[in-house]
Amino acid sequence: MKINSAVKLGTVATFAAVLLAACGSSSSSSSEASKQTLNWMESSALPSMDSATATDVVSGETLNNTNEGLLRFGKNSKVHPGVAKSYTVSKDGKTYTFNLRKSNWSNGTKVTAKDFVYAWQRTVNPKTASQYAYMYAPVKNANAIMTSKKPVSSLGIKAEGNYKVVVTLTQATSYFPSLVASPMFFPQSKAVVDKYGKKFATNAKDNVYNGPFKLTYWTGTSDNWSMSKNTEYWNAKNVKLKKINFKTMKDPQTSLSQYQSGKLDATYLSGQQPKNYKNSKQYVERKGASTFYIELNQRKDSMMKNKKARQALSLAINRKQFVNKVLADGSTQTKGLVSTGLMSYKGKDFNTASYVPEATNHDLAKAKTLWKQALKETGRSSYNLTLMADDTPAGKNTLEFVQSQWSKLGNIKVTNQSLPFKTRLARSENGQFQAVVSGWGADYPDAISFLEMFTKTNSYNRGKWNNAEYNKDIAAADGKDANNQAARWNDLVDAQKTLMKDQGIIPLYQQGKSQLVKSNVKGVIYFPTGANWDFSKAYISK
Amino acid sequence: MAKYLAKRIFYLILTLFIVITVTFFLMKLLPGTPLTNQAKLSKSQIALIYQQYGLDKPVWQQYLLYLAGAVKGNFGTSFQFSDQPVSYLLSSRIGPSLQIGLQAMIVGVIVGIIIGAFGAMKQNTWVDTTTTVVSILGISIPSFVLAVLLQYYLGLKLGWFPIAEWGGFIYTVLPTLALGATPLAESARFVRTEMVDVLSSDYIELAKAKGLSRMGVIYHHALRNSLIPLITIVGPLAVNIMTGSMVVENIFSIPGIGEQFVKSVLTNDYPTIMGLTIIYSFMLCVVLLITDILYGIVDPRIRLTGKAN
Repeated sequence: MKINSAVKLGTVATFAAVLLAACGSSSSSSSEASKQTLNWMESSALPSMDSATATDVVSGETLNNTNEGLLRFGKNSKVHPGVAKSYTVSKDGKTYTFNLRKSNWSNGTKVTAKDFVYAWQRTVNPKTASQYAYMYAPVKNANAIMTSKKPVSSLGIKAEGNYKVVVTLTQATSYFPSLVASPMFFPQSKAVVDKYGKKFATNAKDNVYNGPFKLTYWTGTSDNWSMSKNTEYWNAKNVKLKKINFKTMKDPQTSLSQYQSGKLDATYLSGQQPKNYKNSKQYVERKGASTFYIELNQRKDSMMKNKKARQALSLAINRKQFVNKVLADGSTQTKGLVSTGLMSYKGKDFNTASYVPEATNHDLAKAKTLWKQALKETGRSSYNLTLMADDTPAGKNTLEFVQSQWSKLGNIKVTNQSLPFKTRLARSENGQFQAVVSGWGADYPDAISFLEMFTKTNSYNRGKWNNAEYNKDIAAADGKDANNQAARWNDLVDAQKTLMKDQGIIPLYQQGKSQLVKSNVKGVIYFPTGANWDFSKAYISK
Repeated sequence: MAKYLAKRIFYLILTLFIVITVTFFLMKLLPGTPLTNQAKLSKSQIALIYQQYGLDKPVWQQYLLYLAGAVKGNFGTSFQFSDQPVSYLLSSRIGPSLQIGLQAMIVGVIVGIIIGAFGAMKQNTWVDTTTTVVSILGISIPSFVLAVLLQYYLGLKLGWFPIAEWGGFIYTVLPTLALGATPLAESARFVRTEMVDVLSSDYIELAKAKGLSRMGVIYHHALRNSLIPLITIVGPLAVNIMTGSMVVENIFSIPGIGEQFVKSVLTNDYPTIMGLTIIYSFMLCVVLLITDILYGIVDPRIRLTGKAN
């Protein structure tokens, strides 16, 4: 028995040595071929490649690199021509006419207007059960189709010949071009979907691609997947990367080790890592399109209905200290509900234009005065407040920090309540809270994606804050000013100002990611909404 | 024996059925929805999507439908991995988990027996002390700490083994060591204690007196008798490895099913929860069955016949 295991151990050791030697030699000789290869880290696996049903960031990002819609997101979330080389908008803003270029799917067949009609109808079809179909709301009849009140064919999209797509909207929607650039509006080939049936888009092979890259390896459940340059892509001559390998790393320390040993060209940082690498040249911060804020339940509670009380709670929080010392993960303090960097007009960021200093600037003295006044006005000597948040590390940090800040107000007792995400969500929906830390991420780069939440009837307005002026501004931005960029900008800016002045919510921070990226990786485009990454212009420099 | 086996298999199926039933109804008590975009969907939108998946039906109906499907081998479609049948999701990911678990079990138990036997034979010498220290360390250091240490020193610093990922035997070495530490330590401890006991018993003295070789005595008489209590702990050790693998798989980025189990519960991925519960409870039942059969092989006194009991 002893001898047997000794022999076994010896065999294992020899085997290991041989394998190690083999690995060593192969990696040094393949450096030439791997020059234009990018090794990218993901924190979760790729769950879906069907643009009609995909919901998560990883699917969105992969689709954005393997497929292309009528338009395409570029730097700073600006839309550029995609499959459509140009488009025109009717005067009332309700009709968009897209002129398609001649382009091919990766199997050599032509991408035509019919592929768009088919994909859009498939996504809104209730049978598809798409969790993102609501993004189609501006398109004519979409809402009626989703609730089975109208046939799928009544959707406001028509193919005129092979290379012209005409889209009819219910009302003018100024952010429609951004929608069209998002994965759920990408084309799909009916022939391909029918051919593969249930297997369509469940692995790399049973699919077809019209973007800069095509998936070459993905089993549908694998942790790694690869894409290589799609030679059929209309702009293939400007695509420099030959291959991208995506690797799922669930443990941040493992990922960092892989990065340090050269197996990865980029890695996300988390926990203590951002603090340790902040001064590295390879350190990059990415602003997300998600903000976190506190909603106060203003249904009945006279204290929460009191504007001074709400202001006191907001001014008592030192946001700068929170993002730099507590979170320290690339998150930034926020001036409002809308995320910074999401939308700009004439070179001015939305949050700069709608900044209300007295709503978010830390001022404990003023906060104390306001709090005292509020207590007096509502006939109280002190107030008990329960703050609810997710039981994630960030959620717990938020609870502890805000509790310590609020306690400084005096005559307040703050209790923390840490709940699993789904429970927290259910209680928010049912109005079972006093104060709750909520988060929202924009689906498309437009301030309305955030602001429409706090109109009177919106179901996401969980605290039931209600302000007539605000409702009016949002209605105007969605309605009469929808086609007038300047007026609409002003409506939205005014709306956020009102929200801040009346302290409808208490903004906390904008979520950010931090990353280490090898300095020879160039041209990777990041945008905060939906798909996040575009590698079509990326390359590895010498 | 055949009758005993048949009886045990019947109980196995009964156990599985009870596990399926209890899990199904408990799982439906979880708050939230399996929809990945639930935070952004309104109640009416969720209701519409529920209709498509049949989740709007009463729970007992869903249960019967699930049972009817499961009997035919249809375990539903995963929500996290949209459009992937659960059977495919699990079958495509169970290989690495099984390989690492089995390797850890085999390496751990065999090396543990050797170490324990050595310790007992050289009782109260430095060899004994060393093996005792090794087994105490193995029990007290959690597998995920050991995993990180192995990864850092043997992977990153010395570069002997890959840091993470999956792709051939060499990739399995570190996770196997990390997972195998507990079974190694546990079995070393058990075998040592038992063998010290056995070595001082009369029949060993007799065997020695009869002039049997030292190895003969150890192998035929001492070791065999010391293994019986070890079999008792194989079941719990297997459970230990199954739960330990969830963390170890994450650390080494192994494409196994460990992470799916935690994630499916967190995301209300009902079909995946059910699939994994069935797999895990099946594996555990089989391990227990095997240990019971092993008892009979190692110790003829408790060999079971259909007549007994």
